[in-house]
Parts: sequence; C-alpha cells; structure tokens
Amino acid sequence: MSNKLSSSVPTDREVVLGILNDSEDTLNKLYTGYFPMVLQFILNNNGDEDDAKDVYQEGIIVLYNKIKGGNFELSSKLKTYIYSVCRRIWLKKLSQESRKTNNISDFEDIMAVEVDLEQHEEKDQQFDKMNDALLHLGEPCKTIIQDFYINGLSMQDICEKFGYTNTDNAKTQKYKCLQRLKKLFFQV
Amino acid sequence: MRNEIELEGIIEDYLNGKLSETERVAFEQLRKTDPVVDHKVVAHKVFLESMGDYANIMDLKAKMDRAHAEIDVDTLTETLRPHPSYFVNIWRKNKAAIGVAASFILLTIVTVYSIQQNTKQIGSVELVSRELTKIKNSQSSLIRIINSKNTPKDVKPANFGGTGFALTANGYLLTNLHVVDGADSVYVQDNKGESYKAKVVRTDSQYDLAILKIIDPSFSPLSNLPYRLKQNGIGMGDVVYTFGFPKDDTVFGQGYVSSKTGYNGDTTQYQVAIPVNPGNSGGPLFDHQGNIIGVISAKEKQVDGATFAVKSKYIQEALNSIPNDSLGKKVAFNKRNSLQGLSRNKQLEKIQDYVFMIKVYK
Repeated sequence: MSNKLSSSVPTDREVVLGILNDSEDTLNKLYTGYFPMVLQFILNNNGDEDDAKDVYQEGIIVLYNKIKGGNFELSSKLKTYIYSVCRRIWLKKLSQESRKTNNISDFEDIMAVEVDLEQHEEKDQQFDKMNDALLHLGEPCKTIIQDFYINGLSMQDICEKFGYTNTDNAKTQKYKCLQRLKKLFFQV
Repeated sequence: MRNEIELEGIIEDYLNGKLSETERVAFEQLRKTDPVVDHKVVAHKVFLESMGDYANIMDLKAKMDRAHAEIDVDTLTETLRPHPSYFVNIWRKNKAAIGVAASFILLTIVTVYSIQQNTKQIGSVELVSRELTKIKNSQSSLIRIINSKNTPKDVKPANFGGTGFALTANGYLLTNLHVVDGADSVYVQDNKGESYKAKVVRTDSQYDLAILKIIDPSFSPLSNLPYRLKQNGIGMGDVVYTFGFPKDDTVFGQGYVSSKTGYNGDTTQYQVAIPVNPGNSGGPLFDHQGNIIGVISAKEKQVDGATFAVKSKYIQEALNSIPNDSLGKKVAFNKRNSLQGLSRNKQLEKIQDYVFMIKVYK
C-alpha cells in the first residue's frame, strides 16, 4: 500500500547532474519528490514528522556527499538508495534512543548502504566538531569567521560591517578568533 | 604577533593558491626548512577543508529547509500516518506473512481435496461375470454339440458365465461366489469343449469364493495340477497374468500388480492392471512362474485397467475352513510347481486344461 508520490520527480540522471551542477531547482524537486516516501516510513515506524525531516535531510546529505565525491554509480534506483539510507539512519536513531520497533514496516525495496553510512558518520563527526567549536566561540568571533569563511566576505567588508577603524585591526581580530576556533576544533 | 598574523595570511593565500609563482616557491622552501611552519600549513588545510564541508552542509541544509517549507507536511502526515484501525495496521505490517499464510492454506485445501479425490476411488466395482447373449450362446452350443462326444444334458443356453480353475485333480474347482450365486444348475466346460455338470459344495461370501465339484459321471480325473498356491511375496509391479473365458474360448491377459490393496483399500485383494471383461470372474491370477496368487473377482467401473483379485491367502483360508469330510478328500495343492522356468506359452499350454468355463443357469 505505497501511496503514490504526487509531485513530479526528476529522473535519476537529472538529479545526479543537477547535484553536480549545484542546481537548487533539482534539489527542490528531489526533496519534495521523495519526502512523502520517507515520511510514510518514519510515521509508520514509531516516529513523527520532525523525525522524518531530520532523517530525510541527513539522507539527502549522504546522497550529496556521495555524488559530489564522484564515486556515485547508479547501480539501483535513486529512490531505493534514498529509502535505504533513511531507513538505516532511522533504525540507528531508534536503537540509540532505545525506542522499540518490533516490526519494521517497509514500503520500498532495500539495498545495502552500510559502507556509505560509515563514511557519512566520519564526515558527520567533523561537522559536529565544527558546529560545537563555532558554538563555543561566541560573538562576535563566530560571525566574523562565518562571514569570512562561509559567506565569503572580504576583510574590507568585515571591517566596515563591524566598525573597525582599519583592516589591520579587523585582521588582528579575525586572527585571534581563528586561533581560538582552531584550538576548540582540534581539541575536541 | 604581527609576524604570526602575516604568516597566517600567507598560509591562507598559499592554500587558496593566491600566491605568485616566486612567493610560492619561496614559501615552499620555508615549509621544507621550518617544520613548525609546515605543521601550521597542514593543520590549516585540514581546518579549511572541514570549514568548507561545514559550509556546504549548512548551505544544503538551508536549501532543504526552504524546500521543506514548501511541502504541506501536515496534510501529508495525515494521509500517511499509520491507520488507526487495528486490522488495517496488522494488514500493512504483515502483508507478506498474511499472503504466505493465505496461499499456504489455499494450497493445503487444494492438496487435501485432491488427496481425498485420489483415495476415494470413484468408480464402483463391477463384477465380471458374464451375461451371455442369446446369439453367442446359440453359436457356442452348436460348436459344443459338434465337438462334444457326450450329448450335453442341457441344451438350454446358459444365462451367465465365468471362469474357474481346478483345485484338485479329482474335480474340485474354485470360482467366484457371484458367478454361481443363485444358480439353478451349473455346468463347467473345459478347453476341449467338454461340458460337465457341477454342483456348488461350498461358498464363502466374505471373500466372494465358491468351490464347485464336478459330479458328471463322464468326468475323468485330471492329471496332477501343474501350479501351486503362492501365498506371499507378491509385490507391486510384479508381472502377473490371467486366463479366462470372457468369450467362448480362453483368453490370456497380462499385466502387473498395481496396488497391494483392492477397492477402497480392501486388504483381502490386489489391484492388478489387466484388462478383463465379463466372464473373467473366477479366473486364476498367476505370477510369472505360474504360481496362483489370486482370483480375479471384479473390476472398477469408469477406470481402465483397475482389476481386483482376491489374494491367494484367502483362497487357502477358504479351503481350510471347509471341513475335510465335506470335500470328501483333503484339498491339497501340489507342493511342486512344474511350471517354473517354462516359457509363457508352455505354461499356458499346461494350464489351459485346468481352467474351466463356468456356465450358470438361473
């Protein structure tokens, strides 16, 4: 009794090409296309819609990293891959939270995705470390670092945004922040 | 401090590939000579990569959140959430198991049904005594008149016919009870066409057997019986043959034991695959060595080649139950089987003198 996915899902090739080209349109279509499938799985296996969102987004990240990593081969349907990854993630979460699922209700075919998920977990740890480090960094350092490294602002922009008298002061401030962040990041 | 900041800037420019060619060569030289600088470069590289990954994922998450906001999650949740009905849930969760169970039950029903169909033999038993037709009889009695040295005492055509075989040399014959049941008079005819009057001396309704005695004064005792009664050791697939009078001459029929039980599992009978016709009733059933292993008694209607024969064990029982004095002399089969090792047609040649057509007048 798999509910028919209403929205039009791009073909698997389109998705892969779209991800490689950073197409936000493809991402949107992909995201809306397969979300009901994962939502149905989570809802029927002791989860709610927020769980579904977290698990699904993590699943999409796994897919992204795999495609971006360049070693993605379409050995099965993308749908099966996403479903299997999300299923694995959710079952792991359930066991971590020791929430019980006696009988897993499945709605799709399943394939083996354990290797991909191990790689993903390593990356995820790095992500969490960075996230923690940034959280502990505090303001204004966090914003300065994010503006410079993530949002790609120049030192000149940062100088103006934060009202430093000259870029050297801004550079010094950024240097100090960076040192602290590195310390936090490598120490954890 | 100042130098540190500059070094950091240079490292970053170096990793981002922003240094000019000469600067790059000079910096790489510095890396080689100064391990502290080299370590800083490596550490910063790892850091930048992590930062890059972090940035990518944050970006992706932001995009996904935007996409998520487009989805009407509440409606979807409502349609996709587990059905409140207990039975629907059971069905959804155990679809496969229920399917397997259902097909198993279906299969079982079909199997049991077909087994019942098989074990319950549909056809009813048809006793293979022969109702002789007038025309055939008038012909056969003509032939008999020509061939016969004695004028038959009864010129009336017989109503019913069957087959019988000699139990003793002095004129005791065995046939089926249903052949002679209710008979006014019984005549037996040998293969030369001689008819002799006989009387029923013993019946056994349980095994459908009857013992006749030739009482005709013109009957001269036979020579020693060539066959003997074999009571056990008959298995499925053994080649067997019979000899009888479905018409006015002996007819040979060969087949094999197809089941060790008879109609509806009757253990007193064999089922043999031999085509028989009315008139074969009471005929002897021989194994390939010429031992008597049974008496043809019936066949199944609507089923081809399912013939039933009373087992020889019950022939012996029937014989044993007869008091010695009623037979006058103890009925004893030859211990020796002179047919053993002979070819089939030699066996038949010898046997045919001991197999009689039973003619019954009712």
